[in-house]
Amino acid sequence: MKKIIFLFSTLSISFLGFSQEVNFGEIHGDFDLNMQSYQEDNLIGAEPADEIILNNAYLNINYTKGDFSAGLRYESYLNALSDFDDDYKGNGIPFRYATYTIDGLEVTAGNYYEQIGSGLIFRSYENKGLGVDNAMDGVRLKYSPVKGVYLKTFIGKSRTYFTYSDGIIRGADGEVNLNEALNFNSKTKIIIGQGIVSRFQLDNNPKFKLPQNVAAYSSRLNIINGGWNYSGEYAIKLNDPIGSLTSEGNNYANGNALMSSLTYSQRGFGIVAEMHRVDHMEFRSERAQEKQYIINYIPTLTKQHTYTLLALNPCATQPEGEFGTQLDIFYKIKKGTILGGKYGTKISFNFSRISALNGGNSFLNDNTEHTPMLISIKGEELYFNDINLEIYKKINKKIKVTGVLAKQAYNKDVLEGKTPGTYGTVNSTIAIADISYKIKKGHTVRVELQELLADGGDGSWSMGLIEYTISPHWFFAAQDMYNWGNHDVKKQLHYVNINCGFLSGSNRFSIGYGKKRAGIFCVGGVCKEVPSSNGFSLTISSSF
Amino acid sequence: MKNIITLFSFILIITSCDVVEGPYLIDDGGITPVDTSSNTYVKKVLIEDFTGHTCPNCPAAARELEAIHDVYGTQIIGMALHVSTGFASPWTGAGKFEYDFRTKWGTDWDNFFDISNSGLPRGMVNRIGYPNEHKLGKNEWLAAVITELEKGIDFGIRIASDISGGNGTITINTELLNDVNGDYKLVVCLTESNIINWQKDGQTENEFYEHNHALRTVLLDESLSTSSSYTAGNKFERAITVSLSSLEQYNIDYSENTAINGSGNAGGWVAENMSVVAYIYNTITKEIVQVEEAHLTN
Repeated sequence: MKKIIFLFSTLSISFLGFSQEVNFGEIHGDFDLNMQSYQEDNLIGAEPADEIILNNAYLNINYTKGDFSAGLRYESYLNALSDFDDDYKGNGIPFRYATYTIDGLEVTAGNYYEQIGSGLIFRSYENKGLGVDNAMDGVRLKYSPVKGVYLKTFIGKSRTYFTYSDGIIRGADGEVNLNEALNFNSKTKIIIGQGIVSRFQLDNNPKFKLPQNVAAYSSRLNIINGGWNYSGEYAIKLNDPIGSLTSEGNNYANGNALMSSLTYSQRGFGIVAEMHRVDHMEFRSERAQEKQYIINYIPTLTKQHTYTLLALNPCATQPEGEFGTQLDIFYKIKKGTILGGKYGTKISFNFSRISALNGGNSFLNDNTEHTPMLISIKGEELYFNDINLEIYKKINKKIKVTGVLAKQAYNKDVLEGKTPGTYGTVNSTIAIADISYKIKKGHTVRVELQELLADGGDGSWSMGLIEYTISPHWFFAAQDMYNWGNHDVKKQLHYVNINCGFLSGSNRFSIGYGKKRAGIFCVGGVCKEVPSSNGFSLTISSSF
Repeated sequence: MKNIITLFSFILIITSCDVVEGPYLIDDGGITPVDTSSNTYVKKVLIEDFTGHTCPNCPAAARELEAIHDVYGTQIIGMALHVSTGFASPWTGAGKFEYDFRTKWGTDWDNFFDISNSGLPRGMVNRIGYPNEHKLGKNEWLAAVITELEKGIDFGIRIASDISGGNGTITINTELLNDVNGDYKLVVCLTESNIINWQKDGQTENEFYEHNHALRTVLLDESLSTSSSYTAGNKFERAITVSLSSLEQYNIDYSENTAINGSGNAGGWVAENMSVVAYIYNTITKEIVQVEEAHLTN
């Protein structure tokens, strides 16, 4: 730590003391601060914070000179925001690295993020919104021996909070662009890839045999021809029991996952058909640990909605077992037609369905063996269903309108990890109107009206939002979510939020006040439970 | 270039895997429990299992505790603490889950160690890791137990119980085995096993579930000595007068008057199924440095 501070101090002094004509490289950085006060609100179940104010802050500093770069991230949780795990506590520099490239070989030592394929067997990443950061600490090499061939290998330990897992993670990946590698020109481009990851952890179980080296493999294929694009990936994770002392606690079955996606696109039209099947594929950096130790990623197969009520009941990927299909169609009605009008009309249709595997995920121990059918949709427990239609229309130079209609089914028990039968499935119908009106140059007002009609869960909701933007510096927003259909009359509450922000150059300031409901927040199928809260918030971001 | 190829080959080789073939259970359990019946003191470990009768995943934790006990024998002492309003409140009038297993002390410890807020089941193994890493999922218990059992012991505890008709005296003798500095407290509890009552277990509701090691009461929680300096050979004796009916009534009153959604349905104690658990912990680190268990009635 002292050495790192010394390094950066030396570099900074060097900048001040020498002529600008000498290239000493560049330093860039960015800063984020999220501060929130927490006041008690018994109606929504919001608890006060003993500290009154909680705070997360991050500072990234990166130094680059030619093919060399180094950097660090300072993180401060004093104490962490209430929707973060308590284990994020205190200050530290949990991320630091140095990397250089020479003759096609890239060497990184320290912390790094990495992914193999789409992440089915390994993904190291950070998402501040989710409170996820499983950065690796170790060594990574990347090398391209010939054109079109890309190799990488790494070894390290995976971060959880401010500590690193017991498991040692090793991985290697090779990707070949056949057109480039074999140097032939063709309309059809083919890329193949193969990855492997292995986790080492000592077998400390006195009662059951455990594999000390747990491996996962994946093969992927990408074929591109004109507007067509096919990508597929198949992964296997070998036996990975958690190391329980009870027989039923140890599952020795191999896991597997298949993803397949076919896309066709041309100007004004696009269609994507996807499926995936996931069976016992959760991979953790340490045996017998919790979800904060997950080191792989199963991409969600549902549309990632941005409108609040459409995203009220999001689909969390079930890495232990699910079968999903999705169809996404985009079409733009041409300008000058009856439906297209002067500017054209954009239409998006999306359908997705996620259900359980037949009889649950694969399971194997001394007493039980189960392998679900490869494909079985009819009669299987529904996890999530979403059918939605979105139309975007520019009426004239001042008015733009977006309308969305959706029907969703949300298995609250499964997707939120509740006891079966507690809530059941929430069926909802959702309508959205989003109208943007340009008052004059630089002044725009936008209004969202949202309605969700549901027969279960928290019942029906209405939402209204008004946003006024004075570009390029100011924005003001106010919104109200009203849970008028809650079956518990005491919980038919308003959740009002107001926000305003100021942007100046590379700095952005935002303050707000409001109530947040307890719920599920997801990014790409990775979800976390968010507690209700009531208070002021301050956000500052800056970069240089 | 050759070096790079060698390096990649090396990494590929070490990213190997082990494929384990069944049977997965090691025949002899892999370990012989230490004989704790002799007069020598043996390191023992307390697993506090925070649970609730309407917590569907909690029986799996109880089974894990029993499995650890099966392997390490009497070196492992369990304690089940029913906590949280959501998972441990009685369902008064529902015809099931009507019993209130909660205690004042279980609730206090749950609040102090902030356990149930992180979800149940969860537990502590000798309370190691406090304040940041003490809340362990059931699958983390074994590794913590192995670590704890490798530690030496500085305190020896003996329990003598003389209870008849629900009344009598429990005597705790503590002996210093090494010179020790620090502040330590002695805690004496009563637990009860073989309680047949409702429990959610996965997707089923089991009317005849056997609840074991349930915390009933705390008889003592006070400093072992006024001194912070202990010398090998020091001995301390505590005699505690016990009236089970009074203690039982205290729990009934707690359930009826204090516990959220309580009902007062907290009696029915069976002395023959009860145990005395005595442990010593460091008041700063909270670590339990030694624990002992004995039947309440002989």
